[in-house]
Amino acid sequence: MATRTGTTEGGKRVLVAGIGGELGSLTASLFENEPWVGPVMGIDVDPPRRRLRRAEVHLIDPTDRDRIVDEVTRFNPHVMIHLAVWEPDARAGTAVATRFTHSATTAILGAAAECPAMETVVVRSGIEIYGRRSGSPTRPDESTRLDPTSEYGRTLFDLEQTATSVGERVGLSVARLRLASVVGPHVPSPLGRLLRQPAVPFSALSDSPFTLVEDAHAARAFVAAARAQYAGALNVVSPGAITVYQALRRGRRLPLPLLGPEWFIARQISHLFGAPIPDHVMEVMHRGRLANGQRLQQELGVAPTISAAEVIDRLYAWPSVIHLKNPIQAVA
Amino acid sequence: MVASVVRISAAAERPAIDPHPPRQLPVVDEWGRDQATVNVLAPIARLRWNVDLAGVGNLPAAGGALLVINDRQWSWNPLMAAMAISHHSERTVRFAGRSDRAPGGALLRRLGGILARADEVDTALGEGEIVMIAAASERSPRNVGTVDHRLVAPAVLRSLPVIPVAAVSSPFGRRSRVKVGTPIAHRGQRRGPLSEVELADAAQTHIQQMLEQMGSTGGFDWLIGN
Repeated sequence: MATRTGTTEGGKRVLVAGIGGELGSLTASLFENEPWVGPVMGIDVDPPRRRLRRAEVHLIDPTDRDRIVDEVTRFNPHVMIHLAVWEPDARAGTAVATRFTHSATTAILGAAAECPAMETVVVRSGIEIYGRRSGSPTRPDESTRLDPTSEYGRTLFDLEQTATSVGERVGLSVARLRLASVVGPHVPSPLGRLLRQPAVPFSALSDSPFTLVEDAHAARAFVAAARAQYAGALNVVSPGAITVYQALRRGRRLPLPLLGPEWFIARQISHLFGAPIPDHVMEVMHRGRLANGQRLQQELGVAPTISAAEVIDRLYAWPSVIHLKNPIQAVA
Repeated sequence: MVASVVRISAAAERPAIDPHPPRQLPVVDEWGRDQATVNVLAPIARLRWNVDLAGVGNLPAAGGALLVINDRQWSWNPLMAAMAISHHSERTVRFAGRSDRAPGGALLRRLGGILARADEVDTALGEGEIVMIAAASERSPRNVGTVDHRLVAPAVLRSLPVIPVAAVSSPFGRRSRVKVGTPIAHRGQRRGPLSEVELADAAQTHIQQMLEQMGSTGGFDWLIGN
């Protein structure tokens, strides 16, 4: 039987909320290989994107709070990984993404508080939480004052506040992993989708640097934080930085330099072509987004090893959709 | 449908990484400094400033250090000195004081500029960078303005060397002189913020003394041969 502080005979029970996404399923697969982990359960509205050998997955709508609470409390996990965060314009528009994230956070963290075995909660946040107001630090670290300036940043701020408050009330260790934009060939990301367009607008006046993180490295950080029962915030960013123009050159995309007012038109056109540009991506375009990720290595002994430029290379290395003119002849 | 599967499978067999990625393409460093931009603008900077540099050996070979330099109106001493020192030493010097507005701030960031904020300076020093902060700008090239002790505090708290740098330059002339001094000793007697206040005062005094020992740069010297 599980205890509050001890380990069960079969290892610790781990719940991954948001297991359907690329990051969630990757994290769950890593947990399956951890010797200290016992049963793994996941909840999401979508099925996992990769084959999981032993994780038990429940498909639940994020607004179905009662069912989420029922399943979570029945499982009574020791460790909860909260990845049910919808980045605006990744899989849903800004308003829906915000609502889903809020609903899922309330239900999942609320359920976590009701689980007697719960020891550790690790939540997925992002470096958007620091904001990019004029004069804000170029490379904020975990001690920097939070001043989100985008809808996504504010959503993450609310999420962290909720998680911290639940942790204080119930006595849990809460780790907040602030990820740079998670980009990869499979990852639904508005920034990644925009950068893969044939022609991409960028700010000719600033062409600010930004950093990224690949999903595999982010997943390892979640596992390490859970293993260490870390409490506090950690930035998870790849070493190095790259500007939008430099990224486009690496991807052999056509850079479209813009000065200001035409951004409005560019956003509409990009939306029509299937790559909407939410406000937090606009911030990246105009003001960049960097963060100091040194503490992750110091505290958990893990750190992303491939640079931001290499993440961009991998993003562009994935083949695009191939349109067949005549499928019948192609088979023949 | 079958055809799609066949073609997509073939595509999926391609290597996940381009075997010939354009790695030779430039990228900025973690602070946004772009060596390619520096390389392009360095000849222009050398056309603008003819710098006599001394005391580069006083810089630490590794680890963070805080350089404090005097500034003169319209002379851009921090930019000039940071570029000159970076060019003539193994270390990259980042200068605090860039604006955060495009396009000027963006360009200065490409050249190694960071914001003149204590937390920004602290982060850079914590990563082992050499950071140059400027005293308040003065009209006279022979006067040193006050040094913001809040920007000195990160070096005190991290026990890193604080090194005075004296610069003599003219808003119009080319000839400039930059001298890197020896690290100022931390007295270590104060436990509170007075330590950085006194260290900032000491840096101002050191730079003033160095300036008094340095000659003039002359006036307008754009004639051929200068």
